[in-house]
Amino acid sequence: MSAPLLVLHGLVAGYGDVPVLHGVDLTVESGELVALVGSNGAGKTTLLRAVSRLLKSGGEIRFGGTDIAAREPEAVFGLGLVQVPEGRQLFPRMSVEENLLMGAYRRRDRAAIGASLAQSFDLFPVLAARRRQMAGSLSGGEQQMCAIARALMAAPRLLMIDEMSLGLAPIIVDRLLDVLVKIRGQGVTILLVEQDVFAALSVADRGYVLEHGRIVRAASAAELKSDPALQRAYLGAEDAP
Amino acid sequence: MKWRWLALAPVLAVLAGVPWLGDAVLIQFGINALLIATLAQSWNILGGFTGYVSFGNSAFYGLGAYGTAIAMAQWHQPFWLGLALGAVLAVVVAAVLGGPILRLRGPYFAIVTLGISAALSALFANLDIAGKNIGLILPLTRDDAMFYELSLGLLAAATVAVAWIARSRFGIALIAIRENEDAAAAVGVDATRYKLAALILAAVFTALAGGIHAYWITFIDPAGSFDTTLDVRMVIMTMFGGPGTVFGPVIGAFVLSAIYEVLANGISTAAALFFGLVILLAVIFLPKGLIDLGGGFRALGWRYFLANIERHRL
Repeated sequence: MSAPLLVLHGLVAGYGDVPVLHGVDLTVESGELVALVGSNGAGKTTLLRAVSRLLKSGGEIRFGGTDIAAREPEAVFGLGLVQVPEGRQLFPRMSVEENLLMGAYRRRDRAAIGASLAQSFDLFPVLAARRRQMAGSLSGGEQQMCAIARALMAAPRLLMIDEMSLGLAPIIVDRLLDVLVKIRGQGVTILLVEQDVFAALSVADRGYVLEHGRIVRAASAAELKSDPALQRAYLGAEDAP
Repeated sequence: MKWRWLALAPVLAVLAGVPWLGDAVLIQFGINALLIATLAQSWNILGGFTGYVSFGNSAFYGLGAYGTAIAMAQWHQPFWLGLALGAVLAVVVAAVLGGPILRLRGPYFAIVTLGISAALSALFANLDIAGKNIGLILPLTRDDAMFYELSLGLLAAATVAVAWIARSRFGIALIAIRENEDAAAAVGVDATRYKLAALILAAVFTALAGGIHAYWITFIDPAGSFDTTLDVRMVIMTMFGGPGTVFGPVIGAFVLSAIYEVLANGISTAAALFFGLVILLAVIFLPKGLIDLGGGFRALGWRYFLANIERHRL
């Protein structure tokens, strides 16, 4: 068995004197779709920022076997650790196609970039229909598709998606989750960071529950989904449905 | 693409031929217009492409002027060595200050840059080697044609640099930073390094213009070298012509220089007022600059101006 793609061991991070993560252990195996769930303020985004090295942190971060804790964000990106940031962060005055091509900014293999573009349009046909439209004029769901497609254009080994469901209608979220399964099927490992706990667990292989900067539960998605304590905490249900 | 560049050759030839007309006033106007166009074009590298609005580029202009003046007046070195010294000073200051100030965004960046020129002005006003408050007198060379051709050459070089940027991966990165810096980081653009490179490149051309100007007018002092009205002019001319384009800043600088010259000759005291009015109308009706007018007007007719007012809301 090969080494896990991403390993966090005793990860601590925070802002100034305010600690947010208190020793997080987490692994993502190659080819997995892992959900990291937790409520607002649990430290999910902080964890992603630490992994992509936008935030200084303590503890161990290994990606593909190499220690990346001391690397710069651009170097980590170059290794194939690509993030879909919270709030999409598109280039609003560039077209959809230009946004996607920007995703391949660090790549120089022109032919392969063209193939990636075709693949993205295949995954999200609506983006192909709107390829010349300004990204800022897309609907929220289309913008999220554009953000995911742009991240795929970087040919990631690990795709980290922050709050994909934020501000989107449930039916759009479901459609996006279906696409994530397809993307995983194409060999891309995914770490999905979500407040919408049960949406994330519905497609994930495994899940981690983050609370107050600590992992409080780690189990298979199926196990977490049927956990009464989790349902009480995140669905507000008195009893399991 | 190639033929479009060839079309510029006659324009360059006509500009280069101006000194042979023998009109001293025209040559002097030309030198000033070429130098201010160089400043606008340099400002465009950072301000136009990355959207980082600097009001501190006059610092590099002043450093270029003082580098040249100190080398020539104090150390009796040739002009080109002075130019090089000024450029090196500007690069050092841009590299040292760029790191911290380019972390600031939007208005915070603009405000911080406002202080740079004032600080350097105070510094040079207290340096013995820079002649303190009084300034320095450079050796006199009465050869306006030479200064004119030098200025034209520098503007051409700056424009070639911007033309290269506009088509390069470097330029794409700068534009990505302007459109959304967080998004640029998300696609692996090393924003810090690219912004710094843009600032340093702008500093070099600005300093060379300052050096040429110092040698031409043969006298420099702190107030005239670190002149914040220059910053305002660079910004206005670039915005007027078309920021983030190859020829916009040059056209903006030429047109505004000419308008100001005509107004100053014709109605003297009211010139500033009319100049302000021109700027005001341009900002409202031509937010993408003069360079966008041709294509935009052809496509939309008079509605182009109304569409531009709409654009302010985006």
